[in-house]
Amino acid sequence: MIRKLATLVFACAALSSVNASADQLDTVIQRGTLNCGVVLDFPPMGYFDGNNNPAGFDVDYCNDLGEAMGVNVNVLNLTWGERIPSLISGKTDVVIGSTSDTLERAKTVGFTYPYFVFKFQVIAHEDKNINSFDDLKNLKVGAALGTTYETEYLAYAEQQGWGKSNYTSFRSENDAYLGLYQGKVDAIISTNTNIATKLRSKEFAEFVAGPYVPNYDDVVGIIAKRDETAWINYLNLFLVRQIRDGNMNTAYNKHFGTDAPADLIQSLRDNK
Amino acid sequence: MDYRFHWNVVFQNMPELLSGAFVTLHVSVLAMLLGIVIAILLAIAKMNNTKFFCHVATVWVEIARNTPALFQIYMAYFGLGALGIHLSPYAAVLSALVFINAGYLAETFRGGFQSIPSTQYSASKSLGMTSFQSYWHIILPQMLRRIYHPMTNQLVWSILMSSLGILVGMSELSGTTQRLQSLSFRTLEFFIVAAVMYYILTKLVLFGSSLLSRRLFRGEI
Amino acid sequence: MGSLFTPLSWSDSGLILTGVWNTIIISVLAIVVGTALGLIVGFIRSESNKVVNVLFGSLLDVLRSVPLIIQLILFSTLMGAMGSPLAPFVAGSIVLSLYTMAFMSEVFRGGFESVSPSMQTAARSLGMSNWQTIYHIRLPISLRAVFPSWLGVSLSVIKDSALVSVIGYMELLRTSEQLISRTQQPLEILIGVGIFYFIISYPLSYYGRYVERKMAI
Repeated sequence: MIRKLATLVFACAALSSVNASADQLDTVIQRGTLNCGVVLDFPPMGYFDGNNNPAGFDVDYCNDLGEAMGVNVNVLNLTWGERIPSLISGKTDVVIGSTSDTLERAKTVGFTYPYFVFKFQVIAHEDKNINSFDDLKNLKVGAALGTTYETEYLAYAEQQGWGKSNYTSFRSENDAYLGLYQGKVDAIISTNTNIATKLRSKEFAEFVAGPYVPNYDDVVGIIAKRDETAWINYLNLFLVRQIRDGNMNTAYNKHFGTDAPADLIQSLRDNK
Repeated sequence: MDYRFHWNVVFQNMPELLSGAFVTLHVSVLAMLLGIVIAILLAIAKMNNTKFFCHVATVWVEIARNTPALFQIYMAYFGLGALGIHLSPYAAVLSALVFINAGYLAETFRGGFQSIPSTQYSASKSLGMTSFQSYWHIILPQMLRRIYHPMTNQLVWSILMSSLGILVGMSELSGTTQRLQSLSFRTLEFFIVAAVMYYILTKLVLFGSSLLSRRLFRGEI
Repeated sequence: MGSLFTPLSWSDSGLILTGVWNTIIISVLAIVVGTALGLIVGFIRSESNKVVNVLFGSLLDVLRSVPLIIQLILFSTLMGAMGSPLAPFVAGSIVLSLYTMAFMSEVFRGGFESVSPSMQTAARSLGMSNWQTIYHIRLPISLRAVFPSWLGVSLSVIKDSALVSVIGYMELLRTSEQLISRTQQPLEILIGVGIFYFIISYPLSYYGRYVERKMAI
């Protein structure tokens, strides 16, 4: 009897200690739902379709991840600024939200291997005739608040001595495009992918893609809590398998209309 | 709590935060001054016998009082933008705050004015004062005393509401905080410091206002 | 690949109604909880000595001196960092209720202090107990006196509930933002939102002023 009791106590203790050390990976599997944060105003990576449902490359990645883990997926809509608070506050388990992997940010959150590479580009009305990045000098330029391209533009503007007076920041990517569309600003900085998507719509028929931000590739990763190493390991393997199993190419095809370029695949493989 | 605070990055960015706080103070004080001027006009219009002016003033006051500030700011920024009127984030926040301040203060002024019995006016006239003199020396000082406190509250409210500038990308204290936190992702640290700065800012304003009131009213309030 | 921009359609009404409903729910909750807490705190403050008052007062003062938007972001992030994340609705309700309490307690304190001490003495001399005095004399009189201010605070809570959108709560303004980015029609949608708030707020504020005028006479 006593031995039985001891076993029971031991088992309980063991169970509770297992529970205590449950990491994010266990938590998600036990919960049966993956809370996946996506920036849903960043087409074609994330946006709302005509039925107000989340769609896009990042959303597909969330679904692929959920499927791999055998759990349901709950996609949460975030603005750029909400990505980290949502992780820290535990509202999301993971943010697949085109987060540039700077060393400064990596002091706070954990990054996976890169999963996409963007170019920063200018989009403006065709009348503006922007041929080089320096043509922006006397134009009103905008970008979304807290993005890496905002930082890059401001750094460049300061280096060239343009000052900040011509610059307008917008709360979100969508607000920036709305501002451009309404004529609040002459040009905005965004990513090549988003620009290409926007240019296909009739609203932006009179706009053209301009020059790239000089010397900058925006390499982005998935982010999770910094101390969740096992979880980040899992996510890393997930990213490797996305390429190896062809899911990456499928998602790319679906949202960009072509196969994933070989150099993109190669750079993702090299960086990992 | 497994969160470790990193304060260094906040202190490194202190100059930017302080300049953000300055913009906050700047826009709220300006919104207050412009709001007072328009509120006086609105209050006069509401007490006026001309129907048209009275209606315009009523519509202004009611819209300002019965819709959220956040809505007014969006309206000033993207709503007017759709009509081809482009305000900068600063101008959008300023005009929304002026619009609301004017709406609230108009009612305050009207109430203050009506609280002074009209017999005082007749009394001062009978003492040989001109219309202007009786307003300036008799009515206005009493009125100012009654509306001083609500006006101070309105200024504090302006400071707090200017934080909505964050939503149209304005570089006041909240917007600056938001931008800085997204560079380093140190959300908690930056917003804690911003909260402290707002607290100090409102206290400074209240302190300044009570100093001024002591000078104006010599303690008899 | 679906179209990026689609105009508003009837199928969006479900989303808009959700937003309307969520706005109403969180406002009502914050007003009810905020009023209850405000009543208690206001009473305690009107009863207690200076030390307690200063302590309580400075705590409430913080709630009134920091923008609601900052309080929302801070509270929601802080709870998560401490390991107990809250859903946007829960975090939003708590912050909005406490914020409401801070203003309500001032309203009620003013109300309690407006009941003249002689009235209380009179009630006590009629043989009422302390609690009876509170329940039958001080509470009814002060509640009637503060009704217009109570309504004023409640109205501002309804309007301030729009800010809970910043922590991801799908209230009216947040749903309309989502629709704006899909339709690129800010003016129409924003005017609709404005009309909604106005329809709720205007009759109440009109009523409040009516009561105030009636009481003044």
